[in-house]
Amino acid sequence: MSAELMHGKSAEPAVRVRGLNVVYATSQGDLPAVRDVDLDIEAEKITGIIGESGSGKSTLVMALLNSVGKPGKIVSGSVMVPGVGDMLSIDRERQRRARGKELGLVFQAAQNSLNPLRRIGHQVLDLGRSHEVRDLRDLLRKASDLLTRLGMDADRVLTSYQHELSGGMRQRVGIMFALILDAKIVILDEATTALDMLSQASVLEIVRELHKERGLTTILVTHDMGVVADMADRVVVMYGGEIVEEGPSGSVLSHPAHPYTQGLIRAIPRISGAIDRAVPLPGAPADLKTYLEPGCPFYQRCAAAMPKCQANRPTSLTVSADRKVACFKVTDHD
Amino acid sequence: MIEVEHLQKVYTTKGNLLTRSQVHAVRDVSFRIPDGGAISFIGESGCGKTTVGRILAGLETPSAGVVRLDGADIHQTPTRERRDLRRKIQLIHQDPYQALNPAHSIEQALSAPLQIMAKQKSGSPRAWIRERMDEVLTMVGLEPASVLYKHPHMLSGGQRQRIVIARALTVEPTVLVADEAVSMIDVSLRLGVLHLLRDLREKLRISLLFITHDVAAARYLGQGGQISVIYKGLIMEQGLTEVVIAHPRHPYTQALLSAVPVLKGLETMGADRFILAKEMNAQSDAQAGCLFADRCPFAQARCFTEAPALIGEDHQYACHFPEVRQVAAVAAE
Repeated sequence: MSAELMHGKSAEPAVRVRGLNVVYATSQGDLPAVRDVDLDIEAEKITGIIGESGSGKSTLVMALLNSVGKPGKIVSGSVMVPGVGDMLSIDRERQRRARGKELGLVFQAAQNSLNPLRRIGHQVLDLGRSHEVRDLRDLLRKASDLLTRLGMDADRVLTSYQHELSGGMRQRVGIMFALILDAKIVILDEATTALDMLSQASVLEIVRELHKERGLTTILVTHDMGVVADMADRVVVMYGGEIVEEGPSGSVLSHPAHPYTQGLIRAIPRISGAIDRAVPLPGAPADLKTYLEPGCPFYQRCAAAMPKCQANRPTSLTVSADRKVACFKVTDHD
Repeated sequence: MIEVEHLQKVYTTKGNLLTRSQVHAVRDVSFRIPDGGAISFIGESGCGKTTVGRILAGLETPSAGVVRLDGADIHQTPTRERRDLRRKIQLIHQDPYQALNPAHSIEQALSAPLQIMAKQKSGSPRAWIRERMDEVLTMVGLEPASVLYKHPHMLSGGQRQRIVIARALTVEPTVLVADEAVSMIDVSLRLGVLHLLRDLREKLRISLLFITHDVAAARYLGQGGQISVIYKGLIMEQGLTEVVIAHPRHPYTQALLSAVPVLKGLETMGADRFILAKEMNAQSDAQAGCLFADRCPFAQARCFTEAPALIGEDHQYACHFPEVRQVAAVAAE
């Protein structure tokens, strides 16, 4: 089956998530962090997953790798990756191999994902050993090529400790680690959030180029609508553990349907247009209480809320070709 | 009114006599902020913008130059008066996750500075502290009763930053130094905090020094204010916020504006947008010419031999070949 899937048609999604539910065990019982998520990540496209802190976007990504940390736990669902199978049901050893080999992850703060006591080159070798790479010399050569490609002095970086590198450089080292085992699916979890504007722009430029060169499937997780708008082909908007809107980025940005997406776009400080067009999003991001409400998670902050929204949870429905929205205002026509 | 003239800060690195080297964090920075005015320092990490803020807040002593608050040099006044001067200039830290003690409740965090002030006030100190805490929390848009008992981990990034701002306001400052005050919080909440800072400027006539790498944030805060673009401790371009953003003359300013993500579907990319590939090289300080020349895509021979002076009247720039380029995104429609 795997060979068939690997060389399957281009319409085959690179990752297919169905009915995914993740909860966090707390003293007040299990709190849902990701709820009923169905998602197809299109192959060879850049998908942006956007949401505020606490929207469940990072939990969703960790669930794709089946490495949700305690006290979180995946209750149900499947994550099909062609060539690997269902990440949530295959045995642990195969999961471990798939991480890095099939699915590369670039962490939020690269400085926290690198070992402070070992030189970068040693960490490349560690990675190779844990994935049974035979030719470690070749692996180092590959690391050095990648680092050069990322615009760095490879010899210097490989012999450095993480504290000797700048934030932008560490983030690029993180990208190198995600790509060195030839992963085809690369997930960047807030990979540019801690960087200043210039490093962010150059890291994004590199991600864009590598994405094209290697035919990658890139997943960008961020709270910055600007980054998604600039980079992504598709946008997935998350709020309160659910996907509230999904679609091609150009159309979502110019015609957002969900009130949350509309508010999010209005709240971006921009360098173009009238200064008073930007309006802050009222209220606070989803918290524990929001997750327990029976109705729409955005109800509290929504200007267009109807009585119905308080008690009922809207489901994600296809509203037009390629666009899905979870909002009664949009999906109800009666 | 705060005036800064020819500020310099040199750090000497540790090492023996031969390997000891000097880092020029701030080379020559002058500016003034009128009461209720604002100035935004923009530049990338390591350009010296934070050092300017720290000198202003009294956390560092300048190697040369003066900082005057309403005419008094804050680094030269006698100790007793200096305390009061320092109270008037408050620093808002970059990272609201680290600026608050996680073991202290919000009430403890806010009442600590007030307890010192309460000694000088008449009446019951406890009632006064309570009143003042409620006042500043309301000012920053928080409900006192619902946050006072909480600990920092129970609040969102935006709320924490509001607490940090409230704490700075408790001592009635006249100048706020906001160092990357919004870069750690969610974009959706950023605008709210920016609006808050703008309101404080207008309502309390607080002068604001806003330090950021985000040009768009500077635009929201600095309405009617100034922007100073700083690189390696030297001002590259300076002028009214709107003018600098719409008609940038210095290639470094243009690089910063180019780096702002373009919102597909809402904006079109600036015609002359360019992305700087080279990173800042801190070692290449010794060169005689323009500090930015080694990264500048438009550099010519003259740029490597002769340092450009800051020229112009209201809109100043330090470049031999200043040329307006359309790098900022343009709103569609």
